[in-house]
Amino acid sequence: MLRYTEKIQETAKRLLQEKRVDAFIGYGKGSVPMMNQPLMVSDPDRVDRLYWDNFCGLNLCNYLTKRTDKVGIVANGCNSRNIVTHIIENQIKRDQLYIVGIPCEGMIDHRAVMRAVKQKEILDIQQNGKTFVVKGADFEETFEKEKFLQSNCAVCIHRNPVIYDELLGDLVEEQTGVSPYQDVEKVEAMDPEKKQGFFTRLISRCIRCYACRNACPLCYCPTCFVDESRPQWVGKSSDPTDTLTFHFLRAYHCAGRCTDCGACERVCPMGISMRQFTKKLNKDCQELFSWEAGLTLDQRPPLDVYRPDDYNDFIK
Amino acid sequence: MKGLLEHVGVEPGRLHFSWISSAEATKFVDVANTVAKEVKALGPARYFIKKRAEVA
Amino acid sequence: MSDWEAKITTFLCNWCSYGAADLAGVSRFQYPPNFRIIRVPCSARVSPKFVLAAFRHGADGVWVSG
Repeated sequence: MLRYTEKIQETAKRLLQEKRVDAFIGYGKGSVPMMNQPLMVSDPDRVDRLYWDNFCGLNLCNYLTKRTDKVGIVANGCNSRNIVTHIIENQIKRDQLYIVGIPCEGMIDHRAVMRAVKQKEILDIQQNGKTFVVKGADFEETFEKEKFLQSNCAVCIHRNPVIYDELLGDLVEEQTGVSPYQDVEKVEAMDPEKKQGFFTRLISRCIRCYACRNACPLCYCPTCFVDESRPQWVGKSSDPTDTLTFHFLRAYHCAGRCTDCGACERVCPMGISMRQFTKKLNKDCQELFSWEAGLTLDQRPPLDVYRPDDYNDFIK
Repeated sequence: MKGLLEHVGVEPGRLHFSWISSAEATKFVDVANTVAKEVKALGPARYFIKKRAEVA
Repeated sequence: MSDWEAKITTFLCNWCSYGAADLAGVSRFQYPPNFRIIRVPCSARVSPKFVLAAFRHGADGVWVSG
Protein backbone atom coordinates (compact mmCIF):
# COMPACT_ATOMS: atom_id res chain seq x y z
CA MET A 1 0.00 0.00 0.00
CA LEU A 2 2.82 2.34 0.88
CA ARG A 3 4.18 1.99 -2.61
CA TYR A 4 1.44 4.30 -3.80
CA THR A 5 2.85 7.20 -1.82
CA GLU A 6 5.82 7.65 -4.15
CA LYS A 7 3.70 7.24 -7.22
CA ILE A 8 1.19 9.80 -6.00
CA GLN A 9 3.98 12.23 -5.28
CA GLU A 10 5.54 11.72 -8.72
CA THR A 11 2.24 12.12 -10.49
CA ALA A 12 1.30 15.19 -8.50
CA LYS A 13 4.67 16.78 -9.21
CA ARG A 14 4.37 16.11 -12.92
CA LEU A 15 0.83 17.44 -13.13
CA LEU A 16 1.66 20.58 -11.23
CA GLN A 17 4.84 21.26 -13.18
CA GLU A 18 3.13 20.74 -16.50
CA LYS A 19 0.37 23.02 -15.26
CA ARG A 20 -2.20 20.37 -16.05
CA VAL A 21 -3.81 21.14 -12.73
CA ASP A 22 -3.84 24.15 -10.44
CA ALA A 23 -4.05 22.12 -7.28
CA PHE A 24 -3.73 18.52 -6.28
CA ILE A 25 -5.88 16.97 -3.58
CA GLY A 26 -4.58 13.98 -1.73
CA TYR A 27 -3.90 12.80 1.78
CA GLY A 28 -1.21 13.96 4.13
CA LYS A 29 0.09 12.25 7.18
CA GLY A 30 -1.90 13.28 10.22
CA SER A 31 -0.41 14.59 13.40
CA VAL A 32 -1.26 11.35 15.21
CA PRO A 33 -1.04 7.82 13.83
CA MET A 34 -4.04 6.45 11.92
CA MET A 35 -5.43 9.92 11.27
CA ASN A 36 -4.53 10.94 7.76
CA GLN A 37 -5.75 14.32 6.78
CA PRO A 38 -6.81 15.78 3.46
CA LEU A 39 -4.06 17.79 1.85
CA MET A 40 -4.17 20.20 -1.04
CA VAL A 41 -0.91 20.98 -2.80
CA SER A 42 -0.41 23.67 -5.39
CA ASP A 43 3.36 24.02 -5.24
CA PRO A 44 5.24 21.26 -7.14
CA ASP A 45 8.08 21.42 -4.64
CA ARG A 46 5.87 20.45 -1.76
CA VAL A 47 4.41 17.24 -3.11
CA ASP A 48 6.55 15.26 -0.69
CA ARG A 49 3.91 15.88 1.93
CA LEU A 50 1.44 13.70 0.07
CA TYR A 51 0.99 10.34 1.61
CA TRP A 52 -1.02 7.15 1.25
CA ASP A 53 -1.64 4.18 3.49
CA ASN A 54 -4.59 2.23 4.80
CA PHE A 55 -5.94 5.01 6.95
CA CYS A 56 -7.06 7.28 4.13
CA GLY A 57 -10.70 6.84 5.00
CA LEU A 58 -11.86 10.41 4.58
CA ASN A 59 -13.60 11.34 1.38
CA LEU A 60 -11.76 13.90 -0.72
CA CYS A 61 -14.74 14.78 -2.89
CA ASN A 62 -15.78 17.20 -0.19
CA TYR A 63 -13.20 19.57 -1.58
CA LEU A 64 -14.42 19.41 -5.16
CA THR A 65 -17.82 20.99 -4.70
CA LYS A 66 -18.23 24.09 -6.89
CA ARG A 67 -14.53 24.49 -7.63
CA THR A 68 -13.72 26.52 -10.71
CA ASP A 69 -10.05 25.66 -11.19
CA LYS A 70 -8.48 22.49 -12.47
CA VAL A 71 -7.75 19.95 -9.82
CA GLY A 72 -6.05 16.65 -9.63
CA ILE A 73 -7.44 14.23 -7.13
CA VAL A 74 -6.58 10.88 -5.67
CA ALA A 75 -9.47 8.46 -5.92
CA ASN A 76 -10.02 4.92 -4.80
CA GLY A 77 -13.20 2.98 -5.48
CA CYS A 78 -15.71 4.82 -3.35
CA ASN A 79 -14.15 8.24 -3.84
CA SER A 80 -14.29 7.84 -7.59
CA ARG A 81 -17.95 6.96 -7.34
CA ASN A 82 -18.47 10.14 -5.37
CA ILE A 83 -16.70 12.06 -8.09
CA VAL A 84 -19.15 10.59 -10.60
CA THR A 85 -22.02 11.67 -8.36
CA HIS A 86 -20.56 15.16 -8.18
CA ILE A 87 -20.28 15.36 -11.96
CA ILE A 88 -23.85 14.10 -12.45
CA GLU A 89 -25.09 16.67 -9.96
CA ASN A 90 -23.20 19.46 -11.75
CA GLN A 91 -20.98 20.26 -8.82
CA ILE A 92 -17.87 20.05 -10.98
CA LYS A 93 -17.12 19.39 -14.64
CA ARG A 94 -15.35 16.31 -15.85
CA ASP A 95 -12.75 18.31 -17.80
CA GLN A 96 -11.74 20.20 -14.69
CA LEU A 97 -10.59 17.00 -13.11
CA TYR A 98 -7.53 14.88 -13.43
CA ILE A 99 -8.36 11.74 -11.53
CA VAL A 100 -5.55 9.61 -10.26
CA GLY A 101 -7.09 6.23 -9.64
CA ILE A 102 -5.92 3.95 -6.90
CA PRO A 103 -7.10 0.38 -6.62
CA CYS A 104 -8.04 0.16 -2.98
CA GLU A 105 -7.54 -2.73 -0.66
CA GLY A 106 -9.76 -1.46 2.08
CA MET A 107 -9.14 0.94 4.91
CA ILE A 108 -8.32 -0.06 8.43
CA ASP A 109 -10.76 0.82 11.15
CA HIS A 110 -8.85 2.92 13.63
CA ARG A 111 -11.36 2.14 16.37
CA ALA A 112 -10.83 -1.57 15.96
CA VAL A 113 -7.10 -1.05 16.30
CA MET A 114 -7.59 1.03 19.41
CA ARG A 115 -9.76 -1.68 20.89
CA ALA A 116 -7.19 -4.33 20.03
CA VAL A 117 -4.48 -2.52 21.93
CA LYS A 118 -6.89 -1.80 24.80
CA GLN A 119 -7.02 1.94 24.15
CA LYS A 120 -3.34 2.43 24.88
CA GLU A 121 -1.66 5.29 23.12
CA ILE A 122 -0.29 4.34 19.74
CA LEU A 123 2.87 6.10 18.70
CA ASP A 124 3.64 4.53 15.39
CA ILE A 125 2.19 2.15 12.82
CA GLN A 126 4.18 0.33 10.20
CA GLN A 127 2.52 -1.46 7.32
CA ASN A 128 4.01 -4.30 5.43
CA GLY A 129 1.74 -6.01 2.99
CA LYS A 130 -1.05 -7.89 4.69
CA THR A 131 0.00 -7.10 8.24
CA PHE A 132 0.73 -4.01 10.22
CA VAL A 133 2.74 -3.41 13.35
CA VAL A 134 1.42 -1.15 16.06
CA LYS A 135 3.96 0.43 18.37
CA GLY A 136 3.34 2.21 21.62
CA ALA A 137 5.47 3.32 24.51
CA ASP A 138 5.67 -0.13 26.07
CA PHE A 139 4.23 -2.55 23.52
CA GLU A 140 4.54 -3.71 19.98
CA GLU A 141 1.97 -5.88 18.29
CA THR A 142 1.40 -7.24 14.82
CA PHE A 143 -2.07 -7.52 13.38
CA GLU A 144 -3.55 -8.88 10.21
CA LYS A 145 -5.02 -6.18 8.07
CA GLU A 146 -7.88 -8.31 6.85
CA LYS A 147 -9.45 -8.49 10.30
CA PHE A 148 -9.33 -4.76 10.93
CA LEU A 149 -11.02 -3.43 7.84
CA GLN A 150 -13.67 -0.77 8.21
CA SER A 151 -17.07 -2.41 8.17
CA ASN A 152 -17.93 -0.85 4.83
CA CYS A 153 -14.64 -1.93 3.27
CA ALA A 154 -15.15 -5.49 4.42
CA VAL A 155 -18.28 -5.77 2.26
CA CYS A 156 -17.11 -3.46 -0.54
CA ILE A 157 -17.60 -4.71 -4.07
CA HIS A 158 -16.25 -1.67 -5.92
CA ARG A 159 -12.66 -1.40 -4.88
CA ASN A 160 -11.35 -0.25 -8.20
CA PRO A 161 -12.00 3.33 -9.28
CA VAL A 162 -14.78 3.65 -11.84
CA ILE A 163 -13.35 6.68 -13.62
CA TYR A 164 -9.77 7.81 -13.79
CA ASP A 165 -7.32 9.50 -16.12
CA GLU A 166 -4.42 7.55 -14.84
CA LEU A 167 -4.19 4.44 -12.74
CA LEU A 168 -1.43 3.85 -10.25
CA GLY A 169 -0.83 0.17 -9.86
CA ASP A 170 -2.83 -2.75 -11.16
CA LEU A 171 -6.54 -3.21 -10.65
CA VAL A 172 -7.27 -5.36 -7.64
CA GLU A 173 -9.60 -8.27 -7.68
CA GLU A 174 -13.09 -7.33 -6.52
CA GLN A 175 -14.47 -9.18 -3.57
CA THR A 176 -17.13 -11.69 -4.38
CA GLY A 177 -19.39 -13.62 -2.13
CA VAL A 178 -19.83 -10.82 0.38
CA SER A 179 -23.37 -9.93 1.29
CA PRO A 180 -23.35 -6.20 1.82
CA TYR A 181 -26.80 -5.90 3.35
CA GLN A 182 -26.69 -8.54 6.02
CA ASP A 183 -27.19 -6.17 8.95
CA VAL A 184 -29.99 -4.35 7.13
CA GLU A 185 -31.82 -7.61 6.64
CA LYS A 186 -31.47 -8.35 10.31
CA VAL A 187 -33.14 -5.07 11.21
CA GLU A 188 -35.80 -5.54 8.56
CA ALA A 189 -36.83 -8.77 10.17
CA MET A 190 -37.60 -7.06 13.48
CA ASP A 191 -41.08 -5.88 14.39
CA PRO A 192 -41.71 -2.12 14.68
CA GLU A 193 -41.22 -2.02 18.41
CA LYS A 194 -37.87 -3.76 18.24
CA LYS A 195 -36.78 -1.49 15.44
CA GLN A 196 -37.68 1.54 17.52
CA GLY A 197 -35.57 0.21 20.33
CA PHE A 198 -32.70 -0.61 18.03
CA PHE A 199 -32.51 2.81 16.50
CA THR A 200 -33.15 4.66 19.73
CA ARG A 201 -30.21 2.85 21.25
CA LEU A 202 -28.12 3.33 18.14
CA ILE A 203 -28.35 7.09 18.18
CA SER A 204 -28.65 7.62 21.91
CA ARG A 205 -24.99 8.57 22.10
CA CYS A 206 -25.22 11.15 19.32
CA ILE A 207 -24.04 14.58 20.45
CA ARG A 208 -25.19 16.35 17.29
CA CYS A 209 -21.71 17.54 16.35
CA TYR A 210 -22.58 17.09 12.66
CA ALA A 211 -19.17 15.60 11.93
CA CYS A 212 -20.92 13.00 9.78
CA ARG A 213 -22.57 15.73 7.78
CA ASN A 214 -19.36 17.65 7.30
CA ALA A 215 -17.36 14.61 6.31
CA CYS A 216 -19.95 13.56 3.77
CA PRO A 217 -19.26 14.72 0.22
CA LEU A 218 -22.98 14.58 -0.54
CA CYS A 219 -23.89 17.16 2.08
CA TYR A 220 -23.16 20.34 0.23
CA CYS A 221 -26.43 22.25 0.66
CA PRO A 222 -25.76 25.94 1.33
CA THR A 223 -27.99 25.72 4.39
CA CYS A 224 -28.60 22.38 5.95
CA PHE A 225 -32.14 21.68 7.11
CA VAL A 226 -30.91 21.33 10.67
CA ASP A 227 -29.59 24.88 10.60
CA GLU A 228 -32.79 26.38 9.29
CA SER A 229 -34.75 28.21 11.92
CA ARG A 230 -37.69 29.55 9.97
CA PRO A 231 -39.32 27.13 10.06
CA GLN A 232 -37.31 25.06 12.41
CA TRP A 233 -37.66 21.51 11.20
CA VAL A 234 -35.66 19.92 13.90
CA GLY A 235 -34.58 21.01 17.37
CA LYS A 236 -30.93 21.53 18.11
CA SER A 237 -30.78 19.52 21.28
CA SER A 238 -29.71 15.93 21.66
CA ASP A 239 -33.30 14.96 22.37
CA PRO A 240 -33.87 11.45 20.97
CA THR A 241 -36.57 12.58 18.58
CA ASP A 242 -34.46 15.42 17.26
CA THR A 243 -31.47 13.20 16.77
CA LEU A 244 -33.56 10.61 15.04
CA THR A 245 -35.07 13.23 12.76
CA PHE A 246 -31.62 14.50 11.90
CA HIS A 247 -30.22 11.08 11.11
CA PHE A 248 -33.33 10.09 9.25
CA LEU A 249 -33.37 13.11 6.99
CA ARG A 250 -29.63 13.13 6.51
CA ALA A 251 -29.84 9.56 5.30
CA TYR A 252 -32.84 10.33 3.16
CA HIS A 253 -30.97 13.14 1.42
CA CYS A 254 -28.32 10.60 0.51
CA ALA A 255 -30.77 8.18 -1.09
CA GLY A 256 -29.39 6.94 -4.38
CA ARG A 257 -26.23 9.00 -3.89
CA CYS A 258 -24.44 7.35 -1.02
CA THR A 259 -21.48 5.26 -2.09
CA ASP A 260 -20.97 3.75 1.34
CA CYS A 261 -17.50 5.27 1.69
CA GLY A 262 -17.80 5.10 5.46
CA ALA A 263 -16.47 8.61 6.07
CA CYS A 264 -19.44 9.42 8.32
CA GLU A 265 -18.77 6.50 10.60
CA ARG A 266 -15.07 7.10 10.61
CA VAL A 267 -15.35 10.67 11.81
CA CYS A 268 -18.05 10.09 14.40
CA PRO A 269 -16.54 10.89 17.79
CA MET A 270 -19.07 8.63 19.47
CA GLY A 271 -18.62 5.70 17.12
CA ILE A 272 -22.22 5.56 15.96
CA SER A 273 -22.92 3.29 13.05
CA MET A 274 -25.06 5.69 11.02
CA ARG A 275 -24.53 3.58 7.93
CA GLN A 276 -27.48 1.57 9.21
CA PHE A 277 -29.68 4.34 7.83
CA THR A 278 -27.99 4.97 4.52
CA LYS A 279 -27.48 1.31 3.78
CA LYS A 280 -31.17 0.61 3.99
CA LEU A 281 -31.72 3.21 1.29
CA ASN A 282 -28.89 1.81 -0.79
CA LYS A 283 -30.52 -1.54 -0.57
CA ASP A 284 -33.90 -0.10 -1.58
CA CYS A 285 -32.32 1.68 -4.55
CA GLN A 286 -30.72 -1.52 -5.61
CA GLU A 287 -33.89 -3.51 -5.27
CA LEU A 288 -36.40 -1.03 -6.65
CA PHE A 289 -34.35 0.76 -9.27
CA SER A 290 -31.36 -1.57 -9.79
CA TRP A 291 -29.22 1.41 -9.03
CA GLU A 292 -25.92 1.77 -7.31
CA ALA A 293 -24.62 5.28 -6.89
CA GLY A 294 -21.78 6.63 -8.95
CA LEU A 295 -21.09 3.82 -11.35
CA THR A 296 -21.81 5.59 -14.60
CA LEU A 297 -21.78 9.12 -15.95
CA ASP A 298 -24.57 8.71 -18.46
CA GLN A 299 -27.48 7.70 -16.32
CA ARG A 300 -29.53 9.97 -14.11
CA PRO A 301 -30.05 8.89 -10.50
CA PRO A 302 -33.36 7.22 -9.63
CA LEU A 303 -34.87 10.09 -7.65
CA ASP A 304 -34.18 12.36 -10.60
CA VAL A 305 -36.13 10.59 -13.30
CA TYR A 306 -39.66 9.47 -13.83
CA ARG A 307 -40.41 6.28 -15.63
CA PRO A 308 -43.94 4.98 -16.11
CA ASP A 309 -42.87 1.62 -14.79
CA ASP A 310 -41.41 3.06 -11.57
CA TYR A 311 -42.17 1.23 -8.41
CA ASN A 312 -45.47 2.52 -7.07
CA ASP A 313 -46.97 -0.21 -4.98
CA PHE A 314 -47.19 2.11 -2.01
CA ILE A 315 -49.68 4.42 -3.73
CA LYS A 316 -53.30 3.52 -3.32
CA MET B 1 -39.57 7.47 2.31
CA LYS B 2 -42.02 4.97 3.59
CA GLY B 3 -39.41 2.25 3.41
CA LEU B 4 -37.01 4.07 5.66
CA LEU B 5 -39.70 5.19 8.10
CA GLU B 6 -40.72 1.61 8.51
CA HIS B 7 -37.12 0.63 8.83
CA VAL B 8 -36.62 2.91 11.82
CA GLY B 9 -39.74 1.53 13.38
CA VAL B 10 -42.78 3.55 12.41
CA GLU B 11 -45.66 1.19 11.83
CA PRO B 12 -46.46 0.71 8.14
CA GLY B 13 -50.08 1.79 8.53
CA ARG B 14 -49.24 5.29 9.69
CA LEU B 15 -48.15 6.75 6.39
CA HIS B 16 -50.33 6.60 3.33
CA PHE B 17 -50.01 7.81 -0.20
CA SER B 18 -52.77 7.90 -2.75
CA TRP B 19 -53.67 9.29 -6.10
CA ILE B 20 -57.18 10.60 -6.52
CA SER B 21 -58.56 12.82 -9.25
CA SER B 22 -60.86 15.70 -8.40
CA ALA B 23 -63.80 13.86 -9.89
CA GLU B 24 -63.32 10.77 -7.77
CA ALA B 25 -65.21 11.74 -4.65
CA THR B 26 -66.21 8.14 -4.03
CA LYS B 27 -62.63 6.96 -4.21
CA PHE B 28 -61.70 9.73 -1.79
CA VAL B 29 -64.26 8.53 0.68
CA ASP B 30 -63.11 4.93 0.27
CA VAL B 31 -59.48 5.75 0.84
CA ALA B 32 -60.35 8.07 3.73
CA ASN B 33 -62.18 5.21 5.40
CA THR B 34 -59.29 2.78 4.99
CA VAL B 35 -56.71 5.28 6.17
CA ALA B 36 -58.74 6.16 9.23
CA LYS B 37 -59.38 2.51 9.97
CA GLU B 38 -55.75 1.51 9.71
CA VAL B 39 -54.49 4.37 11.83
CA LYS B 40 -57.15 3.76 14.45
CA ALA B 41 -56.21 0.13 14.57
CA LEU B 42 -52.66 1.12 15.45
CA GLY B 43 -53.70 3.29 18.34
CA PRO B 44 -52.04 6.53 19.38
CA ALA B 45 -48.51 7.21 18.21
CA ARG B 46 -45.85 7.25 20.86
CA TYR B 47 -42.72 7.09 18.81
CA PHE B 48 -41.19 10.07 17.05
CA ILE B 49 -43.14 12.64 19.04
CA LYS B 50 -41.07 15.42 20.42
CA LYS B 51 -41.81 15.55 24.12
CA ARG B 52 -42.01 18.92 25.74
CA ALA B 53 -38.69 19.79 27.27
CA GLU B 54 -38.72 19.08 30.94
CA VAL B 55 -37.90 22.19 32.85
CA ALA B 56 -35.52 21.44 35.65
CA MET C 1 -58.39 5.56 25.97
CA SER C 2 -61.85 4.75 24.70
CA ASP C 3 -62.45 8.35 23.69
CA TRP C 4 -59.22 8.54 21.75
CA GLU C 5 -59.63 9.69 18.20
CA ALA C 6 -56.82 9.41 15.69
CA LYS C 7 -55.39 12.60 14.30
CA ILE C 8 -54.33 12.20 10.73
CA THR C 9 -52.41 14.96 9.04
CA THR C 10 -53.47 15.02 5.44
CA PHE C 11 -51.70 16.74 2.59
CA LEU C 12 -54.04 17.17 -0.34
CA CYS C 13 -53.17 18.47 -3.77
CA ASN C 14 -55.23 21.52 -4.60
CA TRP C 15 -56.13 20.19 -8.02
CA CYS C 16 -56.76 16.55 -7.32
CA SER C 17 -57.65 15.22 -3.94
CA TYR C 18 -58.68 18.54 -2.49
CA GLY C 19 -61.17 18.76 -5.30
CA ALA C 20 -62.24 15.22 -4.55
CA ALA C 21 -62.69 16.07 -0.87
CA ASP C 22 -64.71 19.10 -1.85
CA LEU C 23 -66.86 17.05 -4.15
CA ALA C 24 -67.30 14.44 -1.44
CA GLY C 25 -68.55 17.18 0.85
CA VAL C 26 -70.87 18.67 -1.74
CA SER C 27 -72.24 15.22 -2.50
CA ARG C 28 -72.79 14.68 1.24
CA PHE C 29 -70.76 11.50 1.47
CA GLN C 30 -69.93 10.38 4.97
CA TYR C 31 -66.30 9.93 5.88
CA PRO C 32 -64.42 9.81 9.17
CA PRO C 33 -63.66 13.11 10.89
CA ASN C 34 -60.07 12.30 11.86
CA PHE C 35 -58.38 14.26 9.13
CA ARG C 36 -56.63 17.59 9.48
CA ILE C 37 -56.32 18.73 5.93
CA ILE C 38 -53.50 20.86 4.62
CA ARG C 39 -53.99 22.08 1.11
CA VAL C 40 -50.83 22.15 -0.96
CA PRO C 41 -50.46 23.54 -4.48
CA CYS C 42 -49.26 20.15 -5.66
CA SER C 43 -48.53 16.96 -3.83
CA ALA C 44 -44.93 17.26 -5.04
CA ARG C 45 -44.73 20.23 -2.67
CA VAL C 46 -44.74 17.80 0.21
CA SER C 47 -41.20 17.09 1.26
CA PRO C 48 -40.14 14.37 3.66
CA LYS C 49 -39.56 17.14 6.18
CA PHE C 50 -43.29 17.83 6.27
CA VAL C 51 -44.12 14.26 7.00
CA LEU C 52 -41.58 14.07 9.77
CA ALA C 53 -42.72 17.42 11.14
CA ALA C 54 -46.26 16.06 11.31
CA PHE C 55 -45.17 12.95 13.19
CA ARG C 56 -42.98 15.02 15.49
CA HIS C 57 -45.93 17.17 16.42
CA GLY C 58 -47.90 14.18 17.42
CA ALA C 59 -49.87 13.12 14.39
CA ASP C 60 -51.02 9.52 14.60
CA GLY C 61 -50.94 9.14 10.86
CA VAL C 62 -50.00 11.02 7.74
CA TRP C 63 -51.72 10.77 4.42
CA VAL C 64 -50.35 12.32 1.27
CA SER C 65 -52.68 12.38 -1.66
CA GLY C 66 -52.35 13.87 -5.13
